[in-house]
Amino acid sequence: MLVGAFACAHTPQLLIRPPTEDRDLVLRVHAAFARVKERLAALRPDAIAIIAGDHIEAFFLDAVPALAVYVGAEATGTFGPYRYRLPIHEPLARSILEQGIERGFDLLYTQGARLDYAFYVPLHFTMPEPAVPIVPLHVNVYLPPQPTPRRCYDWGVALGEILRARPERIALMASGGMSHFPGTDRYASPEVEHDRRLLDRLQAGHGREMSSLTGEELDKTGNVELRTWITLLGAVGDAAADVLCYEPSWHHDNAVVEWPV
Amino acid sequence: MSEDLHYPFPPAAAYRLNRCLYAIKSDPDFCARFLADQRAACDELSLSEAETRAFATFDRDVLVGLGGHPYLVFMADLRLRIAREPGALEYF
Repeated sequence: MLVGAFACAHTPQLLIRPPTEDRDLVLRVHAAFARVKERLAALRPDAIAIIAGDHIEAFFLDAVPALAVYVGAEATGTFGPYRYRLPIHEPLARSILEQGIERGFDLLYTQGARLDYAFYVPLHFTMPEPAVPIVPLHVNVYLPPQPTPRRCYDWGVALGEILRARPERIALMASGGMSHFPGTDRYASPEVEHDRRLLDRLQAGHGREMSSLTGEELDKTGNVELRTWITLLGAVGDAAADVLCYEPSWHHDNAVVEWPV
Repeated sequence: MSEDLHYPFPPAAAYRLNRCLYAIKSDPDFCARFLADQRAACDELSLSEAETRAFATFDRDVLVGLGGHPYLVFMADLRLRIAREPGALEYF
């Protein structure tokens, strides 16, 4: 069953802070992560299914999947000095993969691909104690052509149905967003007002609208990663979002959000 | 999809350049070799002279102009900074 749904920023400067970042802002985002951790502890999940966009870490240009499921015994990765090793809930991962395929989603699966920091950063701050196993779900966000927002939403609808039918208590988390433009000439000007309006719509319970965005619109507003949120929205539908924090930095709109399920 | 996206399709001609950026970002051993001797590291991946020169200054516009993926340029640069100045960062 689905017991909770969250979206968490994952910008690496939240984990490794260079002097360019406002320390107080970083700590305010950490405080929102702490609230998610408390919520997860209260929800007592058996597993966390986490949707993130690989930052060209597991999947380089040799093979670029649109959607993927990690089904190994564990997922490992590194970022800077961090070395992480997270157990995977294998029966749940297999069920998502097999039922996803049955429902017409041609998912790639991996038992050994590296786990990108996009998965790790939110879990570093929000994993309840004792820790629970995860199921990493990849959505291609940075290597065009990416899956369309419509496709992501439809996959989310199927994913929600699969999770609700499972015996485990499952928390769903989307990692990423909001507006940012790493490596481009727009880096220092995220679309703050655009994201405020978007959050307003989500708070008003209009998540479904995001499925009609286009890939070009997401790219234009620095929101390629919102594909992970849109996937989650397919699972939670038009539930009204609770915005736990919205903290735009000089280059990144950090948001932490919960949806009732 | 138009080609004026912030994150355009990575041109096949830039495959080796992108592999080098990826290796700096994700392969600590290669990153160490790159820090020790950039030219030798670029030769290892058969980069062109123009690509090798672009790494000498690590100019984002030049690297992206050559077909480097903007995110890879960004994160390769950040990883090099982490490697060069680990003490300047705060770890949570």
